[in-house]
Amino acid sequence: MALLEIDNLVARYGRITALEGISLTVEEGEIVTLIGANGAGKTTTLRAISGLVRPASGAIHFAGRDISRLAPNEIVRAGISHSPEGRHVFPRMTVRENLELGAYTRTSKAEIAEDTARVLEIFPRLGERFEQKAGTMSGGEQQMLAIARAMMSRPRVLLLDEPSLGLSPKLVQTIFAVIRDINARGTTILLIEQNARQALAVAARGYVLEVGTIVHSGPAADLAASEAVRAAYLGGAA
Amino acid sequence: MTLAARITSSLPAPLRTQRGKTALAFAVALVLPFLGHNGGFTNFLADAGAFVLLALGLNIVVGFAGLLDLGYAAFFAIGSYSFAMLASPQFGIHLPFWLLLFIASGIAAVFGILLGAPTLRLRGDYLAIVTLGFGEIVPQTFLNLSQWTGGPNGIGSLDQPAIGPYKFGFDALPYYFMVLGLIALAVWVANNLRTSRLGRAWMAIREDELAAAHMGINTTTTKLAAFAMGASFSGLAGCALASKLQLVSPDQFGFNVSVFILAMLVLGGMGNIPGVIVGSLILSALERFVLPQGTNFLHSLHLNLDLTNSRFLIYGVILVMMMLFRPEGLIPSSQRKAELHAADDDPTAAAHEQTLYTEGVA
Repeated sequence: MALLEIDNLVARYGRITALEGISLTVEEGEIVTLIGANGAGKTTTLRAISGLVRPASGAIHFAGRDISRLAPNEIVRAGISHSPEGRHVFPRMTVRENLELGAYTRTSKAEIAEDTARVLEIFPRLGERFEQKAGTMSGGEQQMLAIARAMMSRPRVLLLDEPSLGLSPKLVQTIFAVIRDINARGTTILLIEQNARQALAVAARGYVLEVGTIVHSGPAADLAASEAVRAAYLGGAA
Repeated sequence: MTLAARITSSLPAPLRTQRGKTALAFAVALVLPFLGHNGGFTNFLADAGAFVLLALGLNIVVGFAGLLDLGYAAFFAIGSYSFAMLASPQFGIHLPFWLLLFIASGIAAVFGILLGAPTLRLRGDYLAIVTLGFGEIVPQTFLNLSQWTGGPNGIGSLDQPAIGPYKFGFDALPYYFMVLGLIALAVWVANNLRTSRLGRAWMAIREDELAAAHMGINTTTTKLAAFAMGASFSGLAGCALASKLQLVSPDQFGFNVSVFILAMLVLGGMGNIPGVIVGSLILSALERFVLPQGTNFLHSLHLNLDLTNSRFLIYGVILVMMMLFRPEGLIPSSQRKAELHAADDDPTAAAHEQTLYTEGVA
């Protein structure tokens, strides 16, 4: 059984159906990407997994357990961490305080210290800015902090929503390198991206979402090569 | 150098620490009533102390958790009436005062949860409007339930606190010392809460509720805990003030009381415990001394202006001035200062902050 399994998930906002019965799986150790245009339902999918949107129907299994009725804080404790779109760092708190809040669900001080050291190893920049208020940092630094903070709950699955949004091309490279690094250290990742080319390059498998329905899925390399996906999401026959 | 920094640097070394300053403040508070030449001053101190308790309680809700509550006087009313009903001839119940401190703050805390629960999904303006509504409903309810609450007359002949055979009587001094003890307790509790896990969760919700939920913070219970803790402080204040006045009546808990307490926070510095205490004392003093004395002074100049009647105008002007010139309050918490003055201190920081908000919207 896959680590994360979504089965026929339907989500609605009032009368608007955002997800019309999608199914996807993420295996332990994989990077899986979910690509699609604005409004396709990518963020809704992640919000449903982390309990912030209640599914109208369908099931979400994590490590064999149905988590679709759990509260967001219970889902974090279960081992799923979500770095939201737009970063949402705590702007008036320092890097240290942001990371401490990332470890909110945990109690062992030794383990938290260990994980702080680990994320600072992945993001040396955050170590330099350790006592700086997050709101005074650049967009790229804030994105790093948002990912580092999500890592502090020591998740088995990390959900990343648009980590490259609004970053310079060079920083986009850095962020994707970090995503690979985190995955290589053993964290499973479900990645949402508008930057489909980059996302398919780091991911093992991908799903393409169009207005609430999965229209393509398969190994990332196949999707990147597919005519239909190239035309819609990779800027034509580039 | 700011005035506060100048005062601090003139203190002997052991008093410069937070603990030293706190001890000094309480030492001054202990001798303060003996500096006044009449009982009126002690009476003022006891009343002002009760409002310090209220401000410390509201500070948990608004300052720590960022939940704008415009109806805090409702909990003050509930705490006061709880005491009045259980320590008066009204029902012939006369529970001991010291037990009632716990009971009244417990009842207020339960109502904090009950009135907080329907507001959980609301933020900002909407939360303010609903709490404003509760602030009106609660005193109105006490007014209308006249078979239990005495209606507009309220409940009188309340029991006085006593320590063994010693009854507090009608002199304000013992009440003042009791309130001072309660303030010490409240400061200790508030300060421990601030640095606790719960306190960090409150601040996370204040900063960004969505992100707080992503961190695994249970936003429902955390917000309810803020309402409950904040309300419990008003239960203490309610017991103290009701027992001192020997009376509760619905007109003591109007909207203006909620605003008065909120203004104390804005003036002193939201989220900062010493700031809230200072703001509270300044407004109480303004209400009790400055406005009446000012009116007398104007009369002596043959100006027939009654400042006490225009006090809300004057508070309004003070609040507007604060917002314009020192929005973080007289003694700000470091985070509010950082938020509101980033531009003055560091232009690049301000530019970054600008990027943060514009990118956040994009």
